[in-house]
Amino acid sequence: MKSEKVITKPVDSRVSIKKTKWRTSHVYGWLFASPWVIGMLLFFAFPLLSSIYFSFTSYSIINPGEFVGLQNYRDLMNDSLFWTAIYNTVYFTVFFVPLSIFCGVSLALFLNMKVKGMAIYRTIFFLPTLVPHVAMAVLWVWLLNPQFGLVNGMLAAVGMDGPAWLGSETWSKPSLILMSLWGIGQAVVIYLAGLHDISQDYYDAAEVDGANSVQKIGHITLPLLTPVIFFNLVMGVIGAFQQFTLPYTMTKGQGTPGNSLVFYVMHIYDNGFKFFKMGYASAMAWILFVVIMALTTLIFVTSKRWVHYQGN
Amino acid sequence: MKPKLTRSIVAHTVLIVASILFLLPFLWLVSTSLKPTTQIFTWPPQWIPNPIHWRNYLDAMEYIPFFTYLKNTVVITVLGTLGVVLSCPLVAYSFAKLKWRGRDTLFFITIAVMMIPGQVTMIPLFILFEKMGWVGTNLPLIVPAFFGVPFFIFLLRQFFLGLPNELIDSARMDGAGEFRIYWQIMLPLAKPAVLAVGLFQFMAGWTDFIGPLLYLTEPDSYTMSLGLQQFQSEKGSEWGLMMAVATMMTMPIIVLFFLLQKTFIQGITFTGIKG
Amino acid sequence: MSLLNRVQMICSLMAVLVLVGTVMAGCATGQGDSANTITLWHGMTDTGKETFEQLAAQFEEKHPDFKVNVVYIAQQGEGRNEKLLAAIAGGNPPDVAFFDRFEVGSWANQGSLTDLTAMVEESDLDLEGYYPFAVEEASYKGKLYALPMGTDARMLFYNKDHFREAGIDSPPKTIAELEAAAEKLTIKKGKRFERIGFIPWLGQGWTYTWGWSFGGDFYDKDKEKVTIESEVVQSLEWMRDYAKKYNIEDVTAFTDSTGSAASDPFLTGQISMIVDVNAKISVINKYKPDLNYDVAPIPTPTGNDFTTWSGGWSLIMPKGAKNQEAAWEFMKFVAGEEGQKNYSKNTYNLSAIDSINQELYEEDPIMKQFVDLLPSSNHRPVISEGTLLWNELNKARDLAVRGKGDPRQLMQKVSNKVNKELEQ
Repeated sequence: MKSEKVITKPVDSRVSIKKTKWRTSHVYGWLFASPWVIGMLLFFAFPLLSSIYFSFTSYSIINPGEFVGLQNYRDLMNDSLFWTAIYNTVYFTVFFVPLSIFCGVSLALFLNMKVKGMAIYRTIFFLPTLVPHVAMAVLWVWLLNPQFGLVNGMLAAVGMDGPAWLGSETWSKPSLILMSLWGIGQAVVIYLAGLHDISQDYYDAAEVDGANSVQKIGHITLPLLTPVIFFNLVMGVIGAFQQFTLPYTMTKGQGTPGNSLVFYVMHIYDNGFKFFKMGYASAMAWILFVVIMALTTLIFVTSKRWVHYQGN
Repeated sequence: MKPKLTRSIVAHTVLIVASILFLLPFLWLVSTSLKPTTQIFTWPPQWIPNPIHWRNYLDAMEYIPFFTYLKNTVVITVLGTLGVVLSCPLVAYSFAKLKWRGRDTLFFITIAVMMIPGQVTMIPLFILFEKMGWVGTNLPLIVPAFFGVPFFIFLLRQFFLGLPNELIDSARMDGAGEFRIYWQIMLPLAKPAVLAVGLFQFMAGWTDFIGPLLYLTEPDSYTMSLGLQQFQSEKGSEWGLMMAVATMMTMPIIVLFFLLQKTFIQGITFTGIKG
Repeated sequence: MSLLNRVQMICSLMAVLVLVGTVMAGCATGQGDSANTITLWHGMTDTGKETFEQLAAQFEEKHPDFKVNVVYIAQQGEGRNEKLLAAIAGGNPPDVAFFDRFEVGSWANQGSLTDLTAMVEESDLDLEGYYPFAVEEASYKGKLYALPMGTDARMLFYNKDHFREAGIDSPPKTIAELEAAAEKLTIKKGKRFERIGFIPWLGQGWTYTWGWSFGGDFYDKDKEKVTIESEVVQSLEWMRDYAKKYNIEDVTAFTDSTGSAASDPFLTGQISMIVDVNAKISVINKYKPDLNYDVAPIPTPTGNDFTTWSGGWSLIMPKGAKNQEAAWEFMKFVAGEEGQKNYSKNTYNLSAIDSINQELYEEDPIMKQFVDLLPSSNHRPVISEGTLLWNELNKARDLAVRGKGDPRQLMQKVSNKVNKELEQ
């Protein structure tokens, strides 16, 4: 289609179009991006750079503190709770992110089928993400209540003896993963939007070739959904490493039982806002930054192998 | 016809089972909102309150200045959503479809700024807004949205990348201006994604706690999520009232989402242009 | 077509500008910081909130030149202070704030509170009437940074009906008696407790509570160091053994299942004894006024030398407060005799002033027992790392109870960590 159009034009004019296109594109690119350039400098770069500086000081929010060099970073290495927090956070990320992608894509595939009542189904899956966090934390503490909670109640109904969930060191993190999966609706909506973007033509062509549903999903849907999976993977990793509100609210900031729900950002928060060690907290934040950055770069580098864009 | 029927049955079965699992916690929320405090912790769990305690809703609306908080929440949320819908697709489009020097670097920085947890940047940002004289107003909760949100920019970029370049090229051949290409051709194509982003921002603004907590200093300007906090006191929390407010906070977005569904589905009609 | 679109676009852009303009105009009023307006921040709901508003009105009546702006903020208290912190850091804090007294040390050490020493000396305010521990807790390194307001104490609440049923005549005095009574009172079916006699770490059974009751202490004022005393270690060992005996997983299943307010386990009769603060009395009065209960001092290993500890609230003037003089007048009024009396009466709390408690609770059989204990009450050490120490002690208790680590080593870790911070 495109080549036909181009061929009818004289060669020299084509070159000049290309040139002006590049130049105007250059101007418009910056112009279109300008709100974000300003926003980023003001609302992101400035606080971010401040926190780099703070990480080398004994800043306490109230007091600017002194320059202490790498002291904060060195102290971290000897902070046993820091390592516990890392363990818990990595544990959560390793299990939650793949699970959330698997469940999210599967749900989206079902929700993309043309059956009756789809609007209601979609609303139901999206619903949990709408509940305010304070209420959600309270609600889950009740539901997972070992004795009168609904979950163990249902398990008892089928003759199973449910665990102590949030009261047990073994089960507390799986409980949190379960709760987080309940709030998967946002990712599902993104997958759904991605599925809508896949052209019907591909399926029609596959139909002609006699492909069955499973083949269609494997060869068309999943590959063409990869840009969105890629997005959810990156955001999932960033989000999982920054897990905070739910465990903090549920354990009243304590990370109980037995420190099994102390997450990285909770430790940052306690140091920064409870113990007046914002410098130390900033150092922790920058270590987190480097780790997530490394992981994201890895995902970006490998993405060239597995992410397919329809447009190209 | 037959395989289609079995497919439909399988789909419904799976969806209904999953729906029940997803719905249970929410139903429990609604059920609790209709119970007097004495009935909340009972064994075995009682699904349907007896008698139904509608009073919680009225009491909750009296306990906090409900309609004032509602109005404030609506203003912040609607304006924030408007800001995001205007700014983010524009920036994302430029990252995905326009070629310019520094683009990839800037995009990388965009991803990077999301990696520092908000707890650390919160204070410098607060001091910035204090210097601007915005603390005590709702501007810090609205204005940044007009300058783009990295999460949404990244999301929309992924969608624009999926749209074919041919449309842009041929529009350029026809002499269309860059902004017109964006506004009339590309933006409508990305409508499902833009809607999703708008919805996410709406939700985020609607349930945000720490933002309003830090920046609003007059009780007349408080939001619902701050109101929710008031049901927890030293004498024990008013769970019934709290869940009543949580239910009332959730309902409008459920309706909104349900209505938006149609538009999500309409998104399909555009796919004819692609490929 | 394109023209129409352009018009549409321009219209929507203008709409945005108008909206943004309206928001700016409508909301940019900010805090009314006229010289005579005093802003008070508090996080109290219910009667506490109403009482602050009443007190403000009374103050305005007495001082017609001043206006008090009472602002409820959706948080305040231990570990929930972002708003106040941010406001002080931003240089625009309220004039007065209702503040968890035990954090005065940490905040004063940061220089975030106004020194009130000179103001007290120049004024007619007499600190003699306040409990010594409350004044001590409001001071840091010899200077006064807060006016104590309200206090509490910990005692053993016990269900008299359960006791009669189990044939126990009097509340336990020694730890051994406590264990024996708990065992008699417990009803367990399978893994499930129908009723449990006592759980040391439930309610207000903190490391501090038992450490002091066992006769230990936590801080050496002269050396300015956190100490590890064998009595504290013994109290942790006792809790660890207790947890083992009753099986911690089962106990946690029980404690996780307990509610608050009307469904508080002590009110529902699921637990027979609990260490708690006097605030529990108002919960009982509100939700279960016919509960047949009484209070007794927290048992000790010897059966005498009973002790308790107190916390409470205070009024502070953040650093950078605009109207210091007016704020001081207001603080004096609210934390003074008249204000405290109103506050304690309305909220059914203990006052930080002894004579008020004597007057209000003379005839109150249960509250009276708390009042009698107060003069000899302990308070948490006022140090720059008070919050850290509190947090670490709680973690140590949690780990000890779960059998994760030897109590002595856990206490060693706590003291090492906090002492290291104290040295800096």
